[in-house]
Amino acid sequence: MLLYEFEGKLLFKNVGINVPVNRLISELVDQITIKPPLVLKAQVLSGKRAESGGIIRITNNDELITKLKELFGKTINGEKVDKVLVEEMVEYQDEYYLSFSYSTESRGPVLTFGKGGTGAEEKGAKTYPIDLAHLRGELELTSGAHLGGVIPEELVDTAQKLWEVFIKYNCELAEINPLVTSKDGKVYALDSKVILDDDADFRREEKFPERNLFGRPPTNAEIEARKIDEGDHRGTAGSVYWDLEGDIAVIAAGGGGSIVNIDALLAYGGKPANYTEHSGNPPREKLKKLTKIVLSRSGLKGCWFVGGTANFTDIYETLMGFVEGLRELNPKPNYPIVIRRGGPRDKEAFEALKEIGEKEGFDFHIFGRETPMTSTAKTMVDLAYGK
Amino acid sequence: MAILVTQQTKVLVQGITGKEGSKTTLQMKNYGTKVLAGVTPSKGGQEVHGVPVYNTIKEAMDNHPSINTSFIAVPNFAALGAIEEAIEASIPLINVLTEHIPIQDSAKAIAMAKKAGVKIVGPSSIGIISPGIGKVGSIGGDDPRGVFSKGNVGIISKSGGMASEVAWILTKNGIGQSTVIGIGGDILIGSTFADLMEEFEKDEQTKAVVIFGEIGGTYEEEAAELIRGKGKGSLREARERGKFTKPVVAFISGLFAETLPQGTKLGHAGAIVYGEKGSYKSKINALKEAGVALAKTPDEIPNLLK
Repeated sequence: MLLYEFEGKLLFKNVGINVPVNRLISELVDQITIKPPLVLKAQVLSGKRAESGGIIRITNNDELITKLKELFGKTINGEKVDKVLVEEMVEYQDEYYLSFSYSTESRGPVLTFGKGGTGAEEKGAKTYPIDLAHLRGELELTSGAHLGGVIPEELVDTAQKLWEVFIKYNCELAEINPLVTSKDGKVYALDSKVILDDDADFRREEKFPERNLFGRPPTNAEIEARKIDEGDHRGTAGSVYWDLEGDIAVIAAGGGGSIVNIDALLAYGGKPANYTEHSGNPPREKLKKLTKIVLSRSGLKGCWFVGGTANFTDIYETLMGFVEGLRELNPKPNYPIVIRRGGPRDKEAFEALKEIGEKEGFDFHIFGRETPMTSTAKTMVDLAYGK
Repeated sequence: MAILVTQQTKVLVQGITGKEGSKTTLQMKNYGTKVLAGVTPSKGGQEVHGVPVYNTIKEAMDNHPSINTSFIAVPNFAALGAIEEAIEASIPLINVLTEHIPIQDSAKAIAMAKKAGVKIVGPSSIGIISPGIGKVGSIGGDDPRGVFSKGNVGIISKSGGMASEVAWILTKNGIGQSTVIGIGGDILIGSTFADLMEEFEKDEQTKAVVIFGEIGGTYEEEAAELIRGKGKGSLREARERGKFTKPVVAFISGLFAETLPQGTKLGHAGAIVYGEKGSYKSKINALKEAGVALAKTPDEIPNLLK
């Protein structure tokens, strides 16, 4: 989960990283006790906030209300501004980029450090692998062995603390850009970018509300779909769910196969209404719930239930869950439903589906493992758009 | 001869009394794999499908010293501990089925394994199968016989489902497989395409390799470098790598992900792109430059192998 700047700064403060005095506001207020000069910073998830006018500097209190009003009315890269961080302006001398993240090249954590500001990477920030096998029990970064020669003396303490954030809160990324040294010799984190590892949520006490990167609040379907797996570890269904703008509902199987198939759908000109996946042999109730959520929206022109040749997902159970979901929909779907699946109990499933389709009047188009998976994307597009 | 799973493979199952552990034990045995022992703390003395259960790996190894492969199917919060225990027992091959392991735990496990000279395949690995010889993990499910067939093409896949799908497409076209490996789609994995291509290079049975890759990370680019004989220094640790000389066919998925806001999660944890790095284009270009045949759909793979 990508955190907002103010959330990341709370984690920074928890370990003692210096951040400028600030206050988070979610509505217009005239009582700001922090003295100008101030920086007003829109709290949005998209990058390039400064270029989009999301950061405003003010030098006297008279401007405060007008500028705040301006900011609250703004939409930045599709995301409406509903929180602003009001922060004291820090006069600084040098700015740096500092982050910890994971690299697929060294297959472990890396420190990235260099000159700060926008486009730090282009300015030649360098990446240094950290070998976890050489760290002591508590994974402490020592100023000598790990940071020596890389980080200037005055920043070592902050780097150690940022590493603490990275490890303690199980981050995928902990970044300060810019990290500055002020004229009076103090070090400040002027911004934060933190990505938490969702797979480590179970060991983190700090909880943050749901969000997405689409510049809009999560839809009901997204919220509901993600609840399906809560407290039930038998396979997954709906944990990844995004509403999209199209009109073909997609219930795809497999973390890899789902993307292969949606790539194919797009290539044939299909417009997906959503992206979701299920895998690891989820029980039929999960598929029933997911089906109801995916197909609850109006304006659908087709439904594509697609997956490769499963290793151990029970095709009969998952497809019967799909049917149970279909049966509870009101109005009953009258659009074409293309099914392509293979794996354990697939023949049994297809026989049952054929009968159900005829008896109950569903427009099923059923394909097994002998039909190339991605070719059914074309079948779906042709049927949905009446080609 | 195949790689990783051979006639000599003798398996320990960590988490054998759990649902996945027990089910997979039966599958492996039915396919002719030798499963010698299982471990679940405090469940020692039981049997699962005729396989004795011990409390610790040490006990299991004392009773079955020929164990050379561990299959791990424990919950994500217990995975690091389980991998640590297997590394300490010097089991040379560890296959991790467990999904959703925190990345920090994976990083620690990978660092430990490297130091100990132990090979990890996974996490989030569907398993390893050498058709006709045996399998470790869930790959192929209850009955791999229809989908997998013995032959001389190796498959390495980030996706478990696509490992099976690609094997099935090959089998349907009369092309058998030497070994099929699901390396997992996490950001950090124990064995990369390049790591396993090095094994396939040495394997006489394997005449060509298919790789199923996805956007995110740099493992496909690393494979391209190995093929070009440029593995030295530029990627990973600076160790001299040989050149991969056998034909390679690749399929890369994930173009869809690039239509979404950067950083959006879908599919595998590793299928995430920030900036240009790990993008579809970067992978396609790297593989093309290395002379790899690229399939536009999985069904084109057999023709590109001929």
